[in-house]
Amino acid sequence: MTELQYIGKPARRVDALEKVMGKAKYIADRKLPGMLHARCLRSEAPHALIKKLDVTPALAVPGVRAVITSEDFFEHSLFGFPVKDEYVLAYRKVRYVGEAIAAVAADTPEAALAGVQAIVCELEPLPGVFDMEHALDPDAAQVGPDRPDDQHPNFLDLLIVRQADPLAEIEQCAVKLDERYSVGPQEHAYIEPEGALAVPTREGGVLVYAPNQSPFVNYGVLAMVLDLPHNLVRVIQPPVGGSFGGKDDQIYQMSAQVAKLALLTGKPVRLVYSREESLISSYKRDPMHIRIRLGADSDGTLRAVKFEGLMDSGAYASESTFTAWRGSIHAMGAYRYNACAVDIKCVYTNNGYYGAFRGFGNTEVCAGIEQAIDELACAVGMDPLDFRLKNCLHVGDRTAHGQILTESVGLPDCIKTVRRLSDWDRKRAAYANQTGNIRRGIGVAALYHGTSLGAEGADYAGSTIAVEQNYSIDLTSGLTDYGTGSRTVFTLIAAEELGVSPDRIHMQRPDTDTAIESGPTVASRSTMLGGNAARVAADNLRQTLDYAAADLLGCELHQLVRSGEAYVGPDEEPVAWERVVDHAREMGLALSAHGKWTAPRIEWDHHHGTGTPYMAYHFASQVAEVEVDMRTGVVQVVNFWAVHDPGKVIFPQGAYGQVYGGVAQGLGYALMEQITYTNGYLQETNFESYLIPTSVDVPEITAQFVEAPFSKGPYGAKNIAEPSMVPAAPAILNAIYHATGKRVRDLPANLERVLLGHDLAKGGSAKACKLGLKT
Amino acid sequence: MARFDYVRAHSIAEALQLLGEAGLISRPLAGGTDVMVFVRNEKPPFDRLVDISRVPEMKIIERRGDEVFIGAAVTFTEAEQNALLREVAGCLAEACRSVGGPAVRNAGTLGGNVANAAACADSLPALACLDAVAHVRSLTGERSFLLNELIQGANRTAIRPGELLTHFTFPVPPAGVRSAFLKLGRRNAQAISRLSMAAAGRLDAAGRVDYARLAPGAAMPRPQRFTEVEALLLGQAPTDELLAAAGAKTAEVMIGVTGRRWSTEYKEIAIQAMAEQTLRRVLCQ
Amino acid sequence: MLIEFTLNYQPIAIEAPPDVTLLHLLRDHLNLTGAKEGCSVGECGACSVIMDGRLVNSCLVLAPQAHGSEIITIEGIHAPDGGPNDLQENFITYGAVQCGICIPGMVVAGEALLMRTLTPTRTEIRTALAGNLCRCTGYQQIVDAIEATAVQRRQAS
Repeated sequence: MTELQYIGKPARRVDALEKVMGKAKYIADRKLPGMLHARCLRSEAPHALIKKLDVTPALAVPGVRAVITSEDFFEHSLFGFPVKDEYVLAYRKVRYVGEAIAAVAADTPEAALAGVQAIVCELEPLPGVFDMEHALDPDAAQVGPDRPDDQHPNFLDLLIVRQADPLAEIEQCAVKLDERYSVGPQEHAYIEPEGALAVPTREGGVLVYAPNQSPFVNYGVLAMVLDLPHNLVRVIQPPVGGSFGGKDDQIYQMSAQVAKLALLTGKPVRLVYSREESLISSYKRDPMHIRIRLGADSDGTLRAVKFEGLMDSGAYASESTFTAWRGSIHAMGAYRYNACAVDIKCVYTNNGYYGAFRGFGNTEVCAGIEQAIDELACAVGMDPLDFRLKNCLHVGDRTAHGQILTESVGLPDCIKTVRRLSDWDRKRAAYANQTGNIRRGIGVAALYHGTSLGAEGADYAGSTIAVEQNYSIDLTSGLTDYGTGSRTVFTLIAAEELGVSPDRIHMQRPDTDTAIESGPTVASRSTMLGGNAARVAADNLRQTLDYAAADLLGCELHQLVRSGEAYVGPDEEPVAWERVVDHAREMGLALSAHGKWTAPRIEWDHHHGTGTPYMAYHFASQVAEVEVDMRTGVVQVVNFWAVHDPGKVIFPQGAYGQVYGGVAQGLGYALMEQITYTNGYLQETNFESYLIPTSVDVPEITAQFVEAPFSKGPYGAKNIAEPSMVPAAPAILNAIYHATGKRVRDLPANLERVLLGHDLAKGGSAKACKLGLKT
Repeated sequence: MARFDYVRAHSIAEALQLLGEAGLISRPLAGGTDVMVFVRNEKPPFDRLVDISRVPEMKIIERRGDEVFIGAAVTFTEAEQNALLREVAGCLAEACRSVGGPAVRNAGTLGGNVANAAACADSLPALACLDAVAHVRSLTGERSFLLNELIQGANRTAIRPGELLTHFTFPVPPAGVRSAFLKLGRRNAQAISRLSMAAAGRLDAAGRVDYARLAPGAAMPRPQRFTEVEALLLGQAPTDELLAAAGAKTAEVMIGVTGRRWSTEYKEIAIQAMAEQTLRRVLCQ
Repeated sequence: MLIEFTLNYQPIAIEAPPDVTLLHLLRDHLNLTGAKEGCSVGECGACSVIMDGRLVNSCLVLAPQAHGSEIITIEGIHAPDGGPNDLQENFITYGAVQCGICIPGMVVAGEALLMRTLTPTRTEIRTALAGNLCRCTGYQQIVDAIEATAVQRRQAS
C-alpha cells in the first residue's frame, strides 16, 4: 500500500470551528417564526391506571393551541424496537414516574405549563415493583405487557452462552471463586438536554429536527405512529450535544409528540427538556446483580466460568434485550476457557426505565468479571496482570462462544504495553505493604468488545458522494455524529480514497431525504460500517474520475499516478483535479456515487448460546493508580493508562478524545455516579445531586494504541467509542483493593462503601421528582 | 408578568429603606447562587429583590483595630484572594476556595452563604472557628449575633424581614496562631460538603497547645465550636495520641448533639480523621 | 425594565422583565445562543460568560444585575477578522471538541483564566475549569489547548 496521506494523520474535526465560535445551532438554539412551545404532563405515580384524562380545560387556557394524548396516534402510539411495549404518550396505564401522559403546545413556555396544569388527570395507584429480585415473584404486580406464553409478565428476556459444563469443570479446579457483584444505574448526563422541533409541511407532512442517534429509526417510528406515508416524513439531524446511547427512544417519543402537535396546529412546535425533566423521564444504564463462579488450576490456568446476571429493564424494554445479549457475549471476559455458561435475565420494574448506554451491557458485566478475575488471580497467588496475560485471547484462540479468532487480536500487546507504561511491576511491589492512612494502589483490567451489531441484526450502512459545481464534494451518511467524530472519520476516508484534500469535502449531517438508511448509530459501528460505506462510495466516484483522467491524458488506467490531488499520466505533466472533473462532465459522466457496505453474515444460536457473535473485537487493557484515604473513604485516581487496539486509527485526535472521555465516564461510574429510586421516585434530579467527574476529578491520562488491523475494516479500522469506557471502572476497583486490601464489589464505590464496606441508605421521598416536574 | 421586581441598592442606608418599604415583601439579592436556584423550583416568597451585591460598604475587607471587618457582599473569590484573610484567617480563605467552582465563587458571597444557612455551607465552620460576629441592621437599629445564635437550624436564621446582614467581625487571632480548613465531598469541585472542619491553634515555647479552636461543618444543625475538644488539647503536647483523642472527642460531641442518624456510621469515623488532619496541619507543621 | 450594559465591547440597552436570568436575556431577547442552558442551577457551566472580568454562570445572574456591567460572551471572543482566535484555533488543533455543547463555556472559562495569568500550571487550568462540566472529552485536550495558548501568548507578549 502506498503511504497514507490523511488516514492516521492529525486532522481538524469537521464541525469544530462552528462549535468553538459558539455558532453551532443545537435544537434549543433553533427558533422559527410562529413557533409554539410544547410541554408534557408527566406521571407523578410509579404505577397507576389512568382513570380519567380530560384535556378540555387545558384548551381553554390562554395561549394553548393544542393538546394531545395517546388517542391522537395510530394504535395509541405503541412503538418500540425490538420489543413493542412503549407509548409516545401513556395509554391506560403509567409505569414510571415521569412518563408522559399528554402534551400541550402553546404560544409560550409559561402558557404550555399552565395548560399542563389545567389537564384533569386522575391516576389510580397500583402496587409497584421496585426490587428486581422480586419482579418475578408470583404475587408481584404486573408491570410488563401480557404474554402469550406462561412466563411471568415481568419477565423480559433470558440470554445465554453455553460451552460444556462449567460447574463440573470448576469442581475439579484447585482454585475456585464464587462471588457476587452489583452495578448501579448510570445517567448519560449529556450536557445538552433532549429536544425536538417539528415543522408542518405544505404537503400535509412533517419535518422534524431532532438530536436523535438514529434519524432513520425516528423516521420509521414517526410514519408508523402518525400513520403517514414515509414520503411525508422527513428527519434532519442538527448538532447533537452528547448522547452516549441516550438519545434513542426518548427522542423518538418527543419527535412524535411535537410532530403531532405541529400537524394539528399548522405551526412549528418545539419541545426542550429542563435538566430535571431529562433526568426524571429519560432512560438510564440498567443496574445488574451478578454472581460469578470461576475455576483455575494452581498454575493459574483459567478453566471455567459461570456468570449469572439479573438486569432491571425498568418500566419498558427499550434496548434492554440488546444490552442483555451484548452483556452475555462479553460476560466471561477476553479469556480462554474449557467451559462457560452465561445467563442474563432481564425483568420489568417501576424504577424509571433503562436502555442503551455506552458499552451496551459490556460496561456492566466487565465491572463484575474483571474484578472476579482479579480475585481469582490473588487466590492463585499470581500477579493479576500476569494472570491475564497467561489466559487472554490470542490470534488462533477459540472464544467461549466457539468462535476462532483468525486475525486482529491486539490484547497481549495491550497488556504488555500498559504494564510498561504504568511501571506496573515496580508499583505493584512498592504498594504491597502499606500501613499509613493514605495508601496507593494500582489495578488492571482487560477487555474485548465486539464491533458493530454483530449477530443481532442486519448490519449495513450507506453513503452518497457527489462533486458539486464549485468542485467541492458532498458526502452523506445515514449514521449520526453525536460528538464522536464520525463525520471527520468519514471525511478522511473519502479524502484518502479520492486523493483529494479533506477541505474539499462537505460531510453532511443525516437528512432522511438525502442520506441512505444505515441502521442505528449504536454499538461503536460508525467507523467500520459508515467508514466502509464512505470508502465504497468514494471508490466508486474515484473510478469514474480515473476513467475521465485516463481519457484526458490519453493513457491506460494503470498508467495514472497521483501527485497531490493532480493526476499524472505518462507524459509526467500534472493535470489539476478540477480539469479532470471538467473533462468527466464533458464526457457526460455522472459525478455522484452511492456506497453500501454490508458486514459479513454471522450467526448466533440464541437457543444453544453458541455461534459467532461478532466479526471482530476491540481489545484493550487499562491500569488505574489510586490514592485512598483509609479513614474517610475518599479515593483519588491519580494516574491512568489506557492501551487500546482499535485496529487502524483513522482520526488520531478523535481516537485519543474517545479514550480520555471514556475513561472519565468510567471513573464516574466507578466512584460517584449514583442513581437512587425510592419507591420509583428518582432522588437525583439535577447535577447538584447527580455528580459526574469534573476537570479536577479526572487525572492526566496516558493513552496509546496497538493497531492490529482488521482486514474488513476501512484501512484496517475497528472501533473505539464504547470500549474506551468499559474497563475503567474495574481497573479502579482493583486498584482500590490493592490499596486497601478490601474489595468493594458494588458500584459506585462511594465514600461509605470504601470506608465501611457497605452503602448507607438515607431514605428518600417523592419531593424532588414532584418539584422537578414543575420547573 | 414578572414573578418579582428588582431594584439595586447603592448604599446600606438605601438597601435598608428598600427592604423596609411597606406594602411589599423585599429580600436581599447578592450573588444569586442560592436565590436563583430557589426561585426556579419554588414560588418566590417575596415581591422584590434588593440587589446589594455592589454596595461599596459591604465589599470591604479590612483590619479595624483588633478586629477584622468583612462586608457581607464580599464574594468567595475576593475573600480567598485577600491578603489579610490569608494571613490571619487561613481557615476562612481556604473554606472560600473550596466552595463550588470558579464561577460560583465569583458570584456567591459570604453574607449569602451565612444567611442561606445551609448546614453544609463551607464558610460556617470557618467563621465559627474565628468567633465571628454577624452584624444585622434594619431601619430601627443593629443587632449582633454569634454565628450559632444567628443560625437557628437548617436554612433558618434570626434575621427578620427588613433586616440586612451587613458584615462580620472577628477578633484578630493572637500572633502565631495558624488556622486551616478541610473539606470532604463526593468529588473534588462543585461538591456539597459531606463534612468539613475548621481549626486554629498555636504551641507555646514548650511545645504545648496554648490556643485551640475547632469547628466542624455539615455535621451539626448549627455551626459551633467544639469547646470540649479545645479543652482537651490545651496545655498538652500535640502527640499522635492527643490528636487521636481529640478526634474521638469530636465524634462524641457530634453524636451527643445530633444523635445517631443514617449517616452517623460513616461520619463518626470520618469526622475523627478530619479533626485529626486539620489539627495536625495547624499544630504540627 | 431597561437594562443598559456593555455586551461584547458594545453598549447596549434592552427592555426586559426584571425576573429573567442573564442567560435568558442573551438567548431569548438578544438571540445570542452561544451560551447554553444545561442545568439552570449553576452546576454545569455551559452558560458561562465573563462579567466585569470574572467568569460567572449566566443562569444564576438576574438580568438587571448586568446593568452597568461589561459582559463578554462566546460571541465576543474571536480574532479581529471574525474567525477563531488563538485559543479557539488550539481547541480545534488539540482535538478538544467533541459534541461541543460545553465548548463555548470552556472557551469563555479559558479566556477568563488567561486574562489573569499566562503562566498557569495544568493543575491551575483544571481548577479554572472545575465548574464547567464536559461529558465527552475527559477534559485532557481542553487543558492541552489552554496550556498551549498560554505558552503562545506568553511568547508573543
